[in-house]
Amino acid sequence: MAKHSYDYDLIVIGSGAGGSVAADIVAAAGKRVAIVEADMMGGQCPNWGCIPTKALLEASRVLNTARGAEAFGIRTSTTGFNYPSVKAWKDLAIKRTGAHNSAKYYQSKGIGVYHGQAHFISPHEITVNRRHLSAEQFLVATGSSWSSLNVPVSERVTLHDARSILDLPKPPKSLFIIGGGATGVEFAEIFASFGTKVYIAEEAPRLLPREDQEVSQLTEAVLAKRRGVHVLTKAKITGVSIDGISPRVEFLRGGEQHSIKADQVLVAVGKQPNVDIGLENASVDYTKRGIDVDEQLRTSTSHIYAAGDVLGQHLYTHVGVYESRIAANNLLHRQKITPNYKAVPRVTFLTPEIASVGMSEEDCLKRDLKIKTAIVPVNVIGRANVSNAMDGFVKVITDARGVLIGASIVSAHAGETIHELTLAIQHGMTAAEVANTLHAFPTWSEAVRVACAKIKV
Amino acid sequence: MTDAYVIKRGTHDSEAFDPLKLHQSIVAACLSVRAFEGEAHDTAERVVRHVISWLLTKTEVTSADIRRVASSHLHTYHPEAAYLYEHHQLVA
Repeated sequence: MAKHSYDYDLIVIGSGAGGSVAADIVAAAGKRVAIVEADMMGGQCPNWGCIPTKALLEASRVLNTARGAEAFGIRTSTTGFNYPSVKAWKDLAIKRTGAHNSAKYYQSKGIGVYHGQAHFISPHEITVNRRHLSAEQFLVATGSSWSSLNVPVSERVTLHDARSILDLPKPPKSLFIIGGGATGVEFAEIFASFGTKVYIAEEAPRLLPREDQEVSQLTEAVLAKRRGVHVLTKAKITGVSIDGISPRVEFLRGGEQHSIKADQVLVAVGKQPNVDIGLENASVDYTKRGIDVDEQLRTSTSHIYAAGDVLGQHLYTHVGVYESRIAANNLLHRQKITPNYKAVPRVTFLTPEIASVGMSEEDCLKRDLKIKTAIVPVNVIGRANVSNAMDGFVKVITDARGVLIGASIVSAHAGETIHELTLAIQHGMTAAEVANTLHAFPTWSEAVRVACAKIKV
Repeated sequence: MTDAYVIKRGTHDSEAFDPLKLHQSIVAACLSVRAFEGEAHDTAERVVRHVISWLLTKTEVTSADIRRVASSHLHTYHPEAAYLYEHHQLVA
């Protein structure tokens, strides 16, 4: 790769999921590698994304389990929480990822580490804190940032995003969440569990609009009935004003203007790829929705690859890691490989958990595919009975020949159970093949077998 | 204010971003398409404010970056001047 006319063989821009894996692999192959990070080492997931939110969700799940323990004959009349301790738990989970020490790890592997925002100044050169670094090849893995609200907002209002809300010293008395996607509903679950009066507004007719309709219906019911969350679907936010010292969110719903005053407002309307790094100076094509890449993850400039959220396609850590591995292979070898997005699992960590993979029924209808579906409530299986967790279902979707193409699970441990169906979809298995596989009794996975058995070809 | 530096075209030399210089070049573009002088200064002020805001998170950019960002904002306020600004800079 190198002819030593450049400072490095490879410069990776971004130390998160999309960048770190490739940096490691390429350095292990003996190449001179540098990694540039503009924010905290490790990027979003370990510092202000998956890890802290899932740690808080786990704390809220434990609290809710304890509150419901009476059903099992266990007295928990003194159940309570101390939010600073909950935050300390969250911080411990972050610390245990080791992300804060990753600079030392990279340096021990001979990888150069630079802190600062990278900006291309030519196709083979970037500037970081006014230091110019050149490389034969680049991997852009700058991730994504939370989108801001595109309506008038009073200058006196401070809106939270999914990063800043983690630092609240205590749960607010009331919280208005704008956006009913996975991030919005997870924060609704967290703060409602800790006693906050939560409103969640979504412009689409249902929460989690990308999931199957049954998933949305159950999520809305669980959040409203179990957690007391006020679900406001078909609500178009028109502005945020100030009322005394608190924000007041204004929205249109059912043809009428409404407004709700809340102590805090969280904006969770999605993410946008971080593409403002001088890509024009390197002739890399992009739009505000992400960097354009070919099937080998190569950009319009052949020595520059991109991976992770910055592609704007599948904004999940596991996809970033997967793409980073593929980019590393393609950076190193002539034999190129391509990512396969047929079976990307998605998990929303509510109670019960929501997991899905492959196509939703709506996706299939849009493509005019002939499909078969089967849905089984989890309350028919033994594990739901002994766990006293009756809410949920498994839904499977197959093509006309019975080959699995999509699935959704709402149940305890759905995030684990979904991988059986992920494997089946990835390898083109039929529902009958899954149904004819022994599943242990009593496990949540039994519901997968029962749902697959209901598909008749 | 911003502490960003600008790398000049075709070189590796950089100089501190000069908002006045940008202001003047935008005024010149606006006046070339017969904008009123007051309007030209107002437009330039707005565009420079956008560019400064964009530069807040940057330490060093190229003159092409400044031209591109200024041009995209100028396009909002004065498309004709933006056209001239882009093309004048390219031949200058």
